[in-house]
Amino acid sequence: MARKRDTAGMVVCSLFILLGGAALWDTTRMLDRDSYVYPRAVAVLMIVFCLMYIGRQLLLPPKELTESLEAQTAQRGGSTPRRVGLVVTLFACALAMPYVGFLIAGSAAFAVMLLIAMYDPWTRFRIVVYPLVSAALVLGFYFLFKSAFLVPLPTAPFL
Amino acid sequence: MSFEFMWAALSPENFLLALGGVVAGTVIGALPGLTATMAIAVLVPFTFSMPTAAALILMGAIYTGAIYGGAYSAILLNTPGTPSAIATTFEGYPMAKRGDGDLAITVACLASVIGGMVGALFLLGLAPPLAEVALEFGPTEYFWLAMFGLTLIASLSEGNTLKGLIGACFGLLIACIGVAEISSDVRFTFGSNVMIGGIETVSALIGLYCVPVLIDLVATPDRHLKVTHETRGFRLGEATSILSRRWVNAVRSSVIGTIVGILPGAGGSIASLVAYSEARRTAPAGNKFGDGDPDGIIASEGANNATVGGGLIPTLVLGIPGTPTDAVILGALLVQGVRTGPNLFTEGGGSIVYTFMAGLFIATALMLPAGLLIGRYAYKSIITIPKALLVPSVAFMCVIGTYAIRNSTSDIAIMVVLGVIGWILNRFGFTPSPIVLGLILSRIAENGFVQGWIIGEATGNPLTGFFARPISFVLILVILLSLFYPMLKPRLVRRLARQEGRS
Repeated sequence: MARKRDTAGMVVCSLFILLGGAALWDTTRMLDRDSYVYPRAVAVLMIVFCLMYIGRQLLLPPKELTESLEAQTAQRGGSTPRRVGLVVTLFACALAMPYVGFLIAGSAAFAVMLLIAMYDPWTRFRIVVYPLVSAALVLGFYFLFKSAFLVPLPTAPFL
Repeated sequence: MSFEFMWAALSPENFLLALGGVVAGTVIGALPGLTATMAIAVLVPFTFSMPTAAALILMGAIYTGAIYGGAYSAILLNTPGTPSAIATTFEGYPMAKRGDGDLAITVACLASVIGGMVGALFLLGLAPPLAEVALEFGPTEYFWLAMFGLTLIASLSEGNTLKGLIGACFGLLIACIGVAEISSDVRFTFGSNVMIGGIETVSALIGLYCVPVLIDLVATPDRHLKVTHETRGFRLGEATSILSRRWVNAVRSSVIGTIVGILPGAGGSIASLVAYSEARRTAPAGNKFGDGDPDGIIASEGANNATVGGGLIPTLVLGIPGTPTDAVILGALLVQGVRTGPNLFTEGGGSIVYTFMAGLFIATALMLPAGLLIGRYAYKSIITIPKALLVPSVAFMCVIGTYAIRNSTSDIAIMVVLGVIGWILNRFGFTPSPIVLGLILSRIAENGFVQGWIIGEATGNPLTGFFARPISFVLILVILLSLFYPMLKPRLVRRLARQEGRS
C-alpha cells in the first residue's frame, strides 16, 4: 500500500486556520463578553487542531493509505462538467426565484437538471414521458406546498 | 388506565384518524425539509372543530409517523428527512449502498415501533415523577449533555480524530453565525444581511448530506443504490431476528430517547445521537459500525421515536414543551381549553389524556404495517426511477423543502454553498457528520455555558455549577467513560482473560 503525506489535508487545514483567524478578528469588535467567549474558544481550538494535524503530517513518518481511502480516491472519477452544471443550476434557481417566481425558476432548474443527469439515449418514449413526469412532479409539489402546507412560494412580480 | 380508554381510542373515527395521521406523517417526514413540527402546525386549525381526544390522537399519530418517515430519506438518499434521523444516515445509507436498503427500512420500522411503545409506556406510567427530572436540568447540565454528544466525534471521524475535531469546530463556528441568542450581538455576518438569520439547521443538513450525494450521482451513469434482482419482500423475518438478538440496544436506546425527550429543547436529534454513541461504544468486537451496521439504525430510530412519548411528559404534566413539536401540540391544547398540569390526569377521570395515550399506542402499532408498506414503495421507487428523473426530483425536493422552513431563498443558496463545501471537504477526508454534530450541538453548548457562567458568577463561584451539581457530575463521568472506555476495553479484556487463565 502507498505511503503518502496528506498534502491536500494540510491545505484544507491552512484554510481552516485562515477561517479561524477571520473569526477571531471578527470577535474583536464584539462588546459583550457573552458574545465572544464561546466563538473565540472554538476558533482557537480549531486553529490548534489544524496546527496539530499539519505538524503531525510534517514531523511524523507518513501513514499508509488505508484500503478504503484508496478505493474512495479511485471512485472519485466522473464528469466534472455535469457536477458543475448541477451546482450552477441549483444556485441560479435560488438567485432567480425572487425575480421570476418559484414555478418558472423551479421548472427551468428541473428541466436543466434532467438534461444534465441524462445518460440514456433519448428514445421517442422518453421524449414524451420524461417532460410529462417532470411537469407533474413540479406542479404536484408546487400545489402541495402552496395549498396544503400554505407555504408562501415566491411569485413572479410581472405575473 | 382502564380498557374504556382503549375502546374510546379504538372508535372507528379515532382509529381512522390515527391511521390517516401515521400515513400522512410518514410521507411528510420522508420529504427533506418538512418536519413534524411543520406538519402539525399546518394541521392545527383543522383540529379546532374536533373533540379534544380525537384532535390529540391525530396530532400524536402525525408526530409519530413523521419522526419515523425521516428514516426513509436518511437510508435511501443519505438525507435525514427530519433532524431526528441524522444518526440513521450513518449506518442506513451504507446499508442501502450495498443493496440492503429494504432490510434497513424494515429494521428502522421495527425499532421505531419499539421506541414509540417504550416512550408511550413511560408517558402512561411515569409521567408525573419523570416530569420533575426536566426541572432538575439547568444550563450547566445542558452544556454537559452537548459535550457528551460531541464525544461521538471520535467514532464518527473514520480513523482520523483530528480531522473529525476540526470538522466539529467548523460546525460549532458556523452555528454562531447570526444574532447571538443571549447577548443579541451580530456575529460573523461580515456585513451581509443574508447571514443575519444564521444558518438554519435543517437547510444545513440537506446541504451537507444530500447535495454531495447529488453531485456524485450526476457525475456517473452508475445506479444510485446496488440492486439485487431477487424478490425479497419486506425481509421482516431477517429484521425481527436482528432485533431479537439486539433487544438490549433497542430497549436501552428507547429509554435514552425517552429521557432525552423529557428535557426541554434537547429533542430527537440529540436523543438519536446519544443512543447511537452508546450503541457504538458497547458494540461487540467485529461490528460493522461505519459500514452499515443495523445496530446503529436500531439505536437511532428507537431513540427518536421514544422522544414522542418522552417529550409529551413535561408538556402534559408541567406545560413545558420538550420539543418544538410539543410546543405546537401545547398551543393546540390551550386553544381546545385544556389546562395542562398534574390535574389533567385526574380531572374528569383523566379521560382526555388517557384516551390520547391509548391513541398513541394504537398509532405506534399502526406504524408497523403502514411503515412497512410505504417503506417498500419508497425503496422500489428509488431503485427503479431512472437517474435522469431521480436527480432533479431529489434536488427539487431539497430546494422546496429548504425554502419552506423559513420562506427564504437565501437559505437555498446557503444550502447549495454548504453542499459544495461538504463535498469538497469530504474529498479530503473531512466527513460531514462531525460538522453536523457541531452545528446541532453548538447552540445548546453555548447557551448552557454562558447561562451557567452568568448564574455562577452571580453566586460567587462559576465553576461550582459546572462541576458540583449531581447531574452535571454524573454527565461528566459518562463523558469520561465514553472517551476512555474504548482505550480501557482491550486492557480489561486482557486482564479478564489472564485471570480466567490463572483460575
